[in-house]
Amino acid sequence: MGNCFSDLEGGKQAVGGGSHQRPQNVRSDAGHNDAVDHFFRTKGLHALFTKMELSLSASKLRDLDVLSKSDPMVVSYQKKRDGSLEELGRTEVIMNNLDPVWIQKINVTYQFEIVQPLIFRIYDVDTKYHNLPLKMLKLNDQEFLGEASCYLSEIVTRQNQSLTLNLHHRDGRSSKNLGTLTVHAEETVASRDAVEMTFRCSHLENKDLFSKSDPFLRISRTVESGGSIPICKTEVVNNNLSPVWKPVCLTMQQYGSKENPLVIECFDFNSDGNHVFIGKLHKSVAELITLHQNKTGANFISPPSGFRRHEKLLKGQLFVDGLIEKQLYSFLDYISSGFELNFMVAVDFTASNGNPRSPDSLHYINPSGQLNAYQQAIMEVGEVIQFYDSDKRFPAWGFGGRSYEGSVSHCFNLNGSPIGFEVEGVEGIMSAYASALQNVTLAGPTLFGQVINKAADIAGHSISDSHAKYYVLLIITDGVLTDLQETIDSLVRASDLPLSILIVGVGGADFTQMEILDADTGRRLESSTGRIATRDIVQFVPMREVHGGQISVVQALLEELPGQFLTYVRSRDIVPLNVGQSHSEAHTQQRV
Amino acid sequence: MEKASSRVIEVTVISGEDLRVNRRNPVKKNAFVIVRTDPLNERSTGMNTENGCNPTWNQKLVLDLPMHATFITVEVHSGNKIIGISRIPLSDFTGGYLPANYLSFLSYRLRDAKGEKNGILNLSVKVNGPTNMSYAASGSMPWFGGPVTNKFSNGTVTGIPVYYRV
Repeated sequence: MGNCFSDLEGGKQAVGGGSHQRPQNVRSDAGHNDAVDHFFRTKGLHALFTKMELSLSASKLRDLDVLSKSDPMVVSYQKKRDGSLEELGRTEVIMNNLDPVWIQKINVTYQFEIVQPLIFRIYDVDTKYHNLPLKMLKLNDQEFLGEASCYLSEIVTRQNQSLTLNLHHRDGRSSKNLGTLTVHAEETVASRDAVEMTFRCSHLENKDLFSKSDPFLRISRTVESGGSIPICKTEVVNNNLSPVWKPVCLTMQQYGSKENPLVIECFDFNSDGNHVFIGKLHKSVAELITLHQNKTGANFISPPSGFRRHEKLLKGQLFVDGLIEKQLYSFLDYISSGFELNFMVAVDFTASNGNPRSPDSLHYINPSGQLNAYQQAIMEVGEVIQFYDSDKRFPAWGFGGRSYEGSVSHCFNLNGSPIGFEVEGVEGIMSAYASALQNVTLAGPTLFGQVINKAADIAGHSISDSHAKYYVLLIITDGVLTDLQETIDSLVRASDLPLSILIVGVGGADFTQMEILDADTGRRLESSTGRIATRDIVQFVPMREVHGGQISVVQALLEELPGQFLTYVRSRDIVPLNVGQSHSEAHTQQRV
Repeated sequence: MEKASSRVIEVTVISGEDLRVNRRNPVKKNAFVIVRTDPLNERSTGMNTENGCNPTWNQKLVLDLPMHATFITVEVHSGNKIIGISRIPLSDFTGGYLPANYLSFLSYRLRDAKGEKNGILNLSVKVNGPTNMSYAASGSMPWFGGPVTNKFSNGTVTGIPVYYRV
């Protein structure tokens, strides 16, 4: 998850230039501020949302004005977790129109990991209010024309990102033809252009006493006031005066425009923080492209200092060995083009949960309706992901339970059927879970291997049909794994597939062992056959009761999903479905 | 059973990580990789002169894959020393549920002559050509009528010497 750069190794990491960057992080209130954004990210606080604009239009509105037509205006709200409504914005008033197309956009931030209910209310604004600023209009004084509601994720998963809703009365009274409202959502991303560059230097000056310099580059963007804002730095290469750094990927958001001058500075890394300046140069992205094409180097400059009034040209040179221009599509680009997230669930039926009939049990179904930990996890993850799954049929399994036949199974269908493992909708999962508790005896041990293999099978088979499905397996468990190595083996085998595994730990057990699976410390999982995981596909979080608070712990898990999805598709050069085929072929060329 | 003609595999050797000589000194330069499908079929990459112990090659090697082969070997060399080798079973990138011509991205632990861990090798593999019928990569479900244990077994067992420390 977040990185804390307080240790030496962390300090040497590359920052800001990864090609597998998280989806664009823009804080909704401030302007795009790289430094602040990055500050929050390194502390582990992910301001992970995408700005979107909603465009609204309506048709066949009721006519409430006597001598002319209605003058409609829309007010939009987002319903928060506690049920209260937060106003998002208002459109302008359009005069005399029953089929208005409003120009004023409503800004909303899209967050993958929460359910975002939106409500739109249309009012007919009386003529006497027409000269008042919009914000000052008292809605109670206006005539109500109709209301519509939907979820933001419903809109973005549509092909054309438009949704048409029927208007109805407040309080759901009978609504004869009140008309319809069409909402269209668009990401406010300026451009998808990005440039991936491989930098190399030669003849750098030696600034270390007993060894060679440990150089790294810092790239900054110049701003109008004359200063510069750093946008990325490379990793540190130890002890090398002719270093080659790993490729750095800069988005147009970061560099502004290809003509915008960038400042590239080279420093010698020192563990005490006093990095020694080696040299700098000014080049725009366009000039770097020329450097790459001509395969020439640019000399570093040392700015005037001391008694020297002029810049000194240094021997050290910067080369651009590799340069690829590409399009970085966002998560929503893929989703709106037809990519799906398929949800799968596996529930722990081991005896350590406790007898389901006892109120202490983690599987206790409370007759008052309060959800137990398992139900909560299923609900919170399921209700977010269900929008991204087109057929809403979810595979659901249990493990560690004994059916009436007598044998313990580590992957049995939750719906009790011998062949079909799918259920319909999140309600289907809940009812299959409740009935499985009646029919299955809790046994053990806790093994994930079979469930992971089954999910990997499904994900692997889907690849032959299309590349447009990504699978998410949610495993809810109360205990510690019995066979860690077998689970690791299954995970390594599944690591090259379009699959992410979210593990939620419920109850009070010690889950340190699970953190090994999460591999956030950077140690890649290694199977017993010597194969190493291609990527980190596991996220683990222990579930604790969270009272209040904006986002629950489980939903913090979901934040990682768009990033994992993007890592998978970008590493394979998979582009959104509506982008031309020739485009993707151009990117599968060798990069030398 | 179809008459099997030889298949061709494309191995793109991407990069290596943390390669050392004698378990202590990082490799300085000139690391290269030999990929072998059987004693007669091998190809090697060029030498990497710049990145030392984390070399990147990004080089595609095309080899014949005889029908009897069940694993391929990758060896990392520096100068005349063998840094580490890894044996990759075919089942890791063909057969089972993976479709034909699927580009697999794989990473393997390298072990030196003494069996000690010595770095990681990243590569991608694609098999071109007709797939053997026993590798059920077509649409039919492989677990009906398959082996009792119904996992990815295609008859190959990967043996791990006892002295390999995990």
